Amino acid sequence: MADYEPILLRNVGIENSTALKTYESRGGYRALRKALKMTPQEVQAEVKAANLRGRGGAGFPAGVKWGFLPRDRKITYLCVNGDESEPPTFSNRVLLEQDPHQLIEGTIISGYATQTRIAYIYMRVEFHEQFHVLQRAIDEVYEAGYLGKDILRSGYSLECYIHRGAGAYVCGEETGLLESLEGKRGWPRIKPPFPAVEGLFHKPTVVNNVETLCNVPHIIERGAEWFTGIGPEGSSGPKLFCVSGPVQRPGCFEGPMTITCRQLIEDDAYARGMLDGKQVKAVMPGGISMGILTADELDMKMDFADPANYGLLGLGTAAAVVIDTETDIRDVLANVTRFFSHESCGQCTQCREGTGWMYRIARRIADGAGRIEDLDILVEVASNMGMMPGLSICGLSDGVAYPIRTIVEKFRNEFEEHIRRQSPNRALNVLATMN
Amino acid sequence: MPKITIDGKEVECRSGTNVLQAALEAGWDIPHYCYHPGLSVVASCRLCLMEMQMPHPKTGEMGWAPKLFPACQTPVRDGMVVRFDSETVRAARDHCMEYFLLNHPLDCPVCDQAGECYLQDYSYKFGEPISRMVDQKLVNPKKDVGPKTLLYSDRCVMCSRCVRFTKEVAGTGELCITNRGNRSEIDVFPGIPLDNALQGNVVDICPVGALLDKDFLFKQRVWFLQSAPSICPGCSTGCAIRIDTNDNIVYRLKPRYNPGVNDWWMCDEGRFGWKYVHDADRLTTAKVRRGADVSAPLWEDLGGIVSYRFEQHVARKGSAGVFCVLSPMMSCEEAWLLISFMQKIAPEVTPLVGHVPVSGEDQAFPISAAGKDVKFSIRNEKCPNRRGVEMVITASGCPTIGFDEFVEKAGKDEVSAAWIVGGYPDRDWAPKDLTKAAGKIELLVVQDTFENKLTADAAVVLPSCAFVERGGCFVNAQGRIQPFLTAIRPPDGCRRDGQYLYELAGYEGVYNAARVRELMAATMSPFGDLADAPAKPAHQH
Repeated sequence: MADYEPILLRNVGIENSTALKTYESRGGYRALRKALKMTPQEVQAEVKAANLRGRGGAGFPAGVKWGFLPRDRKITYLCVNGDESEPPTFSNRVLLEQDPHQLIEGTIISGYATQTRIAYIYMRVEFHEQFHVLQRAIDEVYEAGYLGKDILRSGYSLECYIHRGAGAYVCGEETGLLESLEGKRGWPRIKPPFPAVEGLFHKPTVVNNVETLCNVPHIIERGAEWFTGIGPEGSSGPKLFCVSGPVQRPGCFEGPMTITCRQLIEDDAYARGMLDGKQVKAVMPGGISMGILTADELDMKMDFADPANYGLLGLGTAAAVVIDTETDIRDVLANVTRFFSHESCGQCTQCREGTGWMYRIARRIADGAGRIEDLDILVEVASNMGMMPGLSICGLSDGVAYPIRTIVEKFRNEFEEHIRRQSPNRALNVLATMN
Repeated sequence: MPKITIDGKEVECRSGTNVLQAALEAGWDIPHYCYHPGLSVVASCRLCLMEMQMPHPKTGEMGWAPKLFPACQTPVRDGMVVRFDSETVRAARDHCMEYFLLNHPLDCPVCDQAGECYLQDYSYKFGEPISRMVDQKLVNPKKDVGPKTLLYSDRCVMCSRCVRFTKEVAGTGELCITNRGNRSEIDVFPGIPLDNALQGNVVDICPVGALLDKDFLFKQRVWFLQSAPSICPGCSTGCAIRIDTNDNIVYRLKPRYNPGVNDWWMCDEGRFGWKYVHDADRLTTAKVRRGADVSAPLWEDLGGIVSYRFEQHVARKGSAGVFCVLSPMMSCEEAWLLISFMQKIAPEVTPLVGHVPVSGEDQAFPISAAGKDVKFSIRNEKCPNRRGVEMVITASGCPTIGFDEFVEKAGKDEVSAAWIVGGYPDRDWAPKDLTKAAGKIELLVVQDTFENKLTADAAVVLPSCAFVERGGCFVNAQGRIQPFLTAIRPPDGCRRDGQYLYELAGYEGVYNAARVRELMAATMSPFGDLADAPAKPAHQH
């Protein structure tokens, strides 16, 4: 993929990339000028035609989402989801700290398309440096007249604010984000009503991911046809991938969604293979909440459709964490369950109690006191949670179910072997000291 | 009225309701914790899940949707088909029930809620006898959240009803949720205890033993309690309540569902305002004073003695100076019987409404809503039946005067004989001017719950029973006639007001409020339409 020219990351790494001047000198805010000459409906239609699917994880087409806004609405809010908290994911972070103007331009165009007057950028609180970078960029843009009243004398006005979260994973869920933005506890809302109808402060609201909006200026500038020409059908456009783990070059890369997980790890344009002497044992290719791939399943395409063929929930954040053969799968499970039991918001019973129970089981297995029946309980509990079977309010618990179920099912032999190799009374003794 | 099909049976339901409410009203026992008809829907306990038929997205053919839906969150639509009795629903519910007990301490033997606990009931009905959880339980702390309430958060199922109550009904919002996941806890904000006029309701709506009433704590096992439907006499709102008693002792009051009056709630003033009922120094016997000589006549002789005194007085002085002060604490029936007696014996008697205690202003809840969308009211008129007594007086056809005017007349020696009814929880209710003038009233009959300055001057003192010992009906501030039943017997030796007034008015046998209402209906038709009595209160959830 050496011939792929980066689009989203084109300004990354150049000198003074966060300055408005640099951005403008490289063609920045041209798309905005173009968009403001189109009608909002035309902008919306262009994005819809590009089939820009949400980059936050669920992959819902952004143009369709905008189309759900009621026609007779008086107030619309646009919320930019920058609460990037999925474990091995840092693509929004790169966009925010290296090229804030691309996001701001995308936000203004999307705001224009949805006829929004106020946009909120919700940023995870751990983004300290990125917050200051973005705030500086917003201040610059206000001064230059791209934000505020009567943008570029088009008659369109938009105010843009950054709101910082308080450190909860669940606030990345769009309705959890809205609650948090309203100053409440970040508990996802029951749907319907969907945010497009009743969102922030009970008004029609659009929530889009940072990376999604970064695509919008390019779609406007170069057209939907150009956009759909990149990548396979149904997964069009450039995509950011993150790779972490014992690889030669961990980092954030851009590419079309035609690449496979193996290419992402081994190709020179991406992570350049494993560190010397390390071998892939497993990969969690979509953040941790989509599930796990074994070393034999690396030919999975990193697009929106293929992960399902490997028992995964979806593409997720397209952030692959590579696990090498020296890593104990029991520790992987314990770490994954610990994360979700810590981040479950506590609203729905299945997720609240299930994650905590699974963590305690996984912790015990990792401590060498597992039982074979624990594996069955893990699969059973994980199979009985999630929004898709209707068992919980939000998708967090789907993202709990998939990794745990796939880890236990795909690596069951390894778990069983560990348990068999434990000293025979270990489990009983550990349990006896507990109770 | 939409018709929906639940488990293959067609049910007619109210429009605008949700499937859970419709199913509960139609007799299904659907487990639920977070749903409460008086609070917003959060659909978080995930117990009332159901299957629903939907058109197939491609063929349009009706079939069971591949996911479950919370019944509480699903509005009813005409023709909808749902089921709760399928394998999928049962499996989801079984898992949920297992989860609720994972970290629960299972301390039912020392839990106040045991016996009326929905975690117990649902576990028996829907749960498994054995938990598969072998690891250490998470223990959340016990907390003192307010002057009247304890929170055992280890028993909590996180339904968030209490939090929503303080936000949506009380409007005070003292309760919140802290922490995440299974470490979530209900809590109060630092330095701000749960202390509002409606806070007792959070204990009622807690489906488990997490929120506990300090006043009732460890007093009784609930299965020993008997309940009687009653009406709170604390103010003119007239909340429907349930009096829980055992062996003739009151242990607690709970609200009874009464749409449009108190809905599901009651205030703390009423909830804890019954303690005087068991005071040791209550009046229990009648006393007749002749000069310095005080005697306690047999109840059988009392009617004769009182009638004789009044007859003699009227014969001497005529009946123009005879007054009958009816307390707004009396039931309509008692007021009617007393007026009937007085009219017979003193045809020119002036009946009047007695002292109406008023305290402060009316309070509307949620207090944060500033009088909009009022969900509960505490009235400043601290008596239950001013309107009822007024109705009875009007129907009697007698001329009447105000209470202040009466006190003035008494001071000016214009009252020669009076029957004054008290019965207020506050024993020294009588205004000073009245107690000063009492000595000038030649024949004074006082009917009261406690000894006070008035009874000291009375020629005849009659004990008045507390509301828990009486039956009848009150008319509340909205003009609703609300019947209430007797919960306990009066103290030993004491007779119910209704009984001796019934006999004085010339009737024989045992006093029966419904029978008296029939008699009243001749002049006051609304009392004839009243059902006999409220049904035995169901323990609502």
